[in-house]
Amino acid sequence: MDHMDLDLDLDEPLTVEMDSDRSRRLFPRSFPGRSRSRSESPVDMESLSNGSATSATTATTTTTTTNTTNPPSATAPVPQPSKLAHLTESLKLEHQLLRVPFEHYKKTIRANHRAVEKEVSAVISGVSDAVDSDVSKDDAVHRLTSLVSRLQGLKRKLEEGSRVENLQAQRCRARLDHLESADAENLTDWNNTRLKRILVDYMLRMSYYDTALKLAESSNLLDLVDIDVFQEAKKVIDALQNKEVAPALAWCADNKSRLKKSKSKFEFQLRLQEFIELVRAGNDLRAITYARKYLAPWGATHMEELQKVIATLAFRSTTDCARYKVLFEPKQWDFLVDQFKQEFCKLYGMTLEPLLTIYLQAGLSALKTPYCYEDDCTKEDPLSQDSFRKLALPLPYSKQHHSKLVCYITKELMDTENPPQVLPNGHVYSTKALEEMSKKNNGKITCPRTGLVCEYSELVKAYIS
Amino acid sequence: MELTTIKDAFERVTKKQKLSSSKSQEVIDQVGHEIEQALGKIQSADDPTSPVDQQSILTDLKLKLNAIVPLHQLEASQKELNLNLSKYPKLLEKFFNPDISKAYRNVDFDFHIVNQTVANHFYRQGMFDLGDSILNEAGEPEATALRSQFLEMHQILEAVRVRNLEPALKWACINREKLKQNGSNIELKLHRLQFVEILQRGNLADSLNYARACLAPFASLHMEEIQKLMACLLFARRLDNSPYAEMTSPTHWENLTEELTGEFCRLLEQSYESPLSVAIAAGVEGLPTLLKLANVMAAKKQEWLAMKQLPVPVELGKEFQFHSIFVCPVSRDQSSEENPPMLLPCLHVLCKQSIMKLSKSGTRTFKCPYCPTEASVAHCRQLYF
Repeated sequence: MDHMDLDLDLDEPLTVEMDSDRSRRLFPRSFPGRSRSRSESPVDMESLSNGSATSATTATTTTTTTNTTNPPSATAPVPQPSKLAHLTESLKLEHQLLRVPFEHYKKTIRANHRAVEKEVSAVISGVSDAVDSDVSKDDAVHRLTSLVSRLQGLKRKLEEGSRVENLQAQRCRARLDHLESADAENLTDWNNTRLKRILVDYMLRMSYYDTALKLAESSNLLDLVDIDVFQEAKKVIDALQNKEVAPALAWCADNKSRLKKSKSKFEFQLRLQEFIELVRAGNDLRAITYARKYLAPWGATHMEELQKVIATLAFRSTTDCARYKVLFEPKQWDFLVDQFKQEFCKLYGMTLEPLLTIYLQAGLSALKTPYCYEDDCTKEDPLSQDSFRKLALPLPYSKQHHSKLVCYITKELMDTENPPQVLPNGHVYSTKALEEMSKKNNGKITCPRTGLVCEYSELVKAYIS
Repeated sequence: MELTTIKDAFERVTKKQKLSSSKSQEVIDQVGHEIEQALGKIQSADDPTSPVDQQSILTDLKLKLNAIVPLHQLEASQKELNLNLSKYPKLLEKFFNPDISKAYRNVDFDFHIVNQTVANHFYRQGMFDLGDSILNEAGEPEATALRSQFLEMHQILEAVRVRNLEPALKWACINREKLKQNGSNIELKLHRLQFVEILQRGNLADSLNYARACLAPFASLHMEEIQKLMACLLFARRLDNSPYAEMTSPTHWENLTEELTGEFCRLLEQSYESPLSVAIAAGVEGLPTLLKLANVMAAKKQEWLAMKQLPVPVELGKEFQFHSIFVCPVSRDQSSEENPPMLLPCLHVLCKQSIMKLSKSGTRTFKCPYCPTEASVAHCRQLYF
């Protein structure tokens, strides 16, 4: 490639082999206005290329062969290899899809096992008790019968537990299969499903459960989204919004070891809030008892917060002192809801932000150019809309290392297959658009932006690297 | 995607889970069996000929249960399972990107806007109950702006699906002027399809009347097209086997749906594709690069949050190129109004600042960096993409 002299005359077919990145660039280091014949002495390209020209190829991952004599439509059904490389990369973003159902599965297994252990040891100590307490015969029969029925109950429970475990394992498998199924043929469908999954995730995190369920059901996505996992969160969130901490505390107890491992202080925060509520109600004595029992154990690690909250006993809920006033504000409960959501996501291996906002931010950043904010921005660009513009405002602009030219008329990319041509007034359009215009109007070209009329023969090709 | 390793690892987990489950069953059965036996013995002690001391039976039972060591058995099977349970997430973390929020900027993302965007996405896809539902759940009262428009669009498309063109024709007639301004001839296409439909039903008089009433007004602009349609009259009952068989192709209907959607959205000043789909698709393509960048910049969190432009390009597919961007091959700067692209006489393009530099502010001729042709500033002209 580097040593090929390109023949750029329209009369002769142009055959260029290039990698995909270069094919998007326009005539890399080609020689316009030079000889028509390929046999003429090729100029030593290497001596001309400075570092900037060679650095252009670094971002490439795949190679493709483009034959410019074929119309692009002939090759359209075959997806570009770069698309498949993109696909493989994007599948690696799907950690959450596999992780969440697995964490759920694991949790069920652990809970079932704990239940069995507990019951079996209870039965055994039941026998020991009977031995130790010198029972009558009827009493012994009675005790043993109840132990037997207890074991039967446990067996039923275990069977039910295994059934749930198997269902959850099946869900993990369904997701693996779904990831594996993504390929070139079903890419459009697969991408549509991904968008729906992302939307369900967003709605679940925002507590729009009904809509989430409707979308999952109507699109047959139930195995690919985590509605049941979020049901568990819903109970806690609903309670917190009603200013009840009991379900949240129960949730903390259920997940005690894992919360401890991640050094979570969510339980402490719940306890602080309960204490505040006692102070608000004027139950000072109860508040002090409560603090001794539930707050003191956190003293070693969170003394400062502890002291601050205890001080509300002195200031009371009517205080104007900003430092303590804020502790009595209702938004503290919203804060607890947020805190819970974070802990919950962490526990299940979810991202802390909804997938929708993560992808949306990345997409808007990649799409954002100064041109997006101009009045004549094409409607096809999401950033032509005020809503997306607002969302993108705090995001950085994208960066380009190579020219990418879009034809004003056809909105198609101008590249080697469809090179840009310059009108006498300096306006540039794609060859495709100009050829079509010239065919319709007997070789006349009208500039759509200035109204200038010229002959097709007056056009010159521009070479852009 | 090649997932064999992961699938195998997962099947190992489920195998251990089943094993552990059956072990639990077994232990429960064993314990139950011993208790039932002891119970039987005590109950059979009713027989006065062989008096049995229930206390010794119970002690015996206790010893037997201790010999089974049920808790130990349970623990052993669980231990193996636990090992696999903790291995699998590690494998996932290795194989996938465990935290895709690393490139996320913690900026205030206005959730009202996001909710409205999602609702409009649902409306656009024809999922009206979902759009209503999310607005309702999110408590967004005034966001139904595009609902009625997209409802009209979907009613038109729904009718087209059952080959009823009436609503589409009505819409095209009402918006005739605007469609003409957009250079669309969709109204003619609709009439053409309608005409062919009537013709295929076989009533010549109806067809002719329809042509007179509905096709004639297009004669001045689309004579050729109309001549062709009139010629179809000759083959009224056997259009399928005529030179005009192509007219009856179902692809016309498929294309019509697409074109109607396109023209409808254009009149609404909306894009053809859902902007939310486009932005998310761009995000999916761009995120891997951004995550790599975030990893490299992990130590400079502040810089990451403050930067006004990404330091590296994020390559997106052709379908995401909406704007012409010229990057000067010499300076690597993006062109701007102050620094526009200029065409050299040799037809290579550089930006103005590079040319000024090469020509020492226009004081001398210079060699194009891409070919040895001499050029002077006077012979360069500005380009407009």
